[in-house]
Amino acid sequence: MEIVEKILNGNEASAAKLISLIEEGKDEGYKAISLLLPYTGGAHRIGITGAPGSGKSTLIDKLATNFSKRGKKIGIIAIDPTSTKTDGALLGDRLRMRDAENIEGIFIRSMAHRGYPGGIAKATIGTIYILEALGKDLLLIESVGIGQTEINISTVCDTLITVFTPDYGDEIQLMKAGMIELGDIIAINKSDMPGASNAQQDIKGHVNTNNNTTWDIPVILTQAQKGDGIEMLIEKAESHFKHLKENNLLEKLRSEKLKKLMLSFLKEEIWAHAMNKWAKKSEFLNIFEMVAKKEIDFYKAVSEASNLIFPDC
Amino acid sequence: MSEDKKKIKILIAKPGLDGHDRGAKVVAQALKDAGMEVIYSGLHKTIDQIINIAIQEDVDFIGLSIMTGAHIPITEKLMKRLKEKGIEDKKVFVGGVIPQKDIPKLKELGVAGVFPGGTPLRETIEFIKNTAKTA
Repeated sequence: MEIVEKILNGNEASAAKLISLIEEGKDEGYKAISLLLPYTGGAHRIGITGAPGSGKSTLIDKLATNFSKRGKKIGIIAIDPTSTKTDGALLGDRLRMRDAENIEGIFIRSMAHRGYPGGIAKATIGTIYILEALGKDLLLIESVGIGQTEINISTVCDTLITVFTPDYGDEIQLMKAGMIELGDIIAINKSDMPGASNAQQDIKGHVNTNNNTTWDIPVILTQAQKGDGIEMLIEKAESHFKHLKENNLLEKLRSEKLKKLMLSFLKEEIWAHAMNKWAKKSEFLNIFEMVAKKEIDFYKAVSEASNLIFPDC
Repeated sequence: MSEDKKKIKILIAKPGLDGHDRGAKVVAQALKDAGMEVIYSGLHKTIDQIINIAIQEDVDFIGLSIMTGAHIPITEKLMKRLKEKGIEDKKVFVGGVIPQKDIPKLKELGVAGVFPGGTPLRETIEFIKNTAKTA
């Protein structure tokens, strides 16, 4: 395929076009991806996640700039939410990547998550493949600003940086399950805010009691706007990647994560099929009616609806 | 879950030394609310930066917001670069402070639509939806 050839020759416009085809779910796009597969896997995939407004995009801007000085060929995927009301999206991450944007050879792609769960889009994993085939050896993937349960971002990256700010809350927030369980590296950004070193101590104590791997999770103070802590972050990201490779964990974790991601996508597919078939059928809609009239209870209703869709289970 | 489908993707760009972006942001927000995916470039972009963003993001439309009076030379340069890069399939529209008398000139340069300040947002949205259909 011509588009495949062009991407392998480093043509950015073709890569951008293929990403669109994947976003649109086009068969020719998937065909091209399958041809690119032998050329994928070569990049260090770094995910960046954290609450909205914690400084993820600015951090990526600085990381990309510094990584590029070290000779890395960089691709950035910045995912923003799609409005559940209008289906539209304002993709504004790129706006905060002004330095990286001006460096020749850094490819930035914004992406609306289009309703997919887990802080990434359906097209994200495909885009990772495309950028690797394009020759990028370092990928920075910014998730949608997350809450407490989104995990898919961790399934598409090797190293996950979770960004907190000093005002994240208190120890109880950390004791709850959530974001803190995800990161391989924790960055406490906006560390000029009061309480930064306390936050660092609290988080440090917490991640290490919870950590049953051989990797010690570093907790780093950063101030992305000024570039403080970025070198340290890069050093830790690189040593994490080295740790994965030296312990033969890289491929093992990648395949485990791919399986997780596949199951999550499968769930979406099954749901879409089920709704296609059932959303307007009267026996399905009747169940909602019966709940509204208090003829059956909520739990019974869910179980009946499920039996309707999957009578064999 | 929204299904896979063609979404209209738009770059709203502020070229040159123009620091007024209220209008660009209002348009960006309105297009987003009309169900499109909108990338806002931020201020002070060069033509080459705008072209670069349009390529990487594979947008369908480039909307230029220009308040400086330099809309003719800026647009001319952008249209020329689009051709050089082989991406003249991307539709261009222009908004901002645009005198009526300049609209035919902009159209001659290949601009698909011109929306001077004060144009109802509905009009811009309709134009984009209709143009996307025929593309």
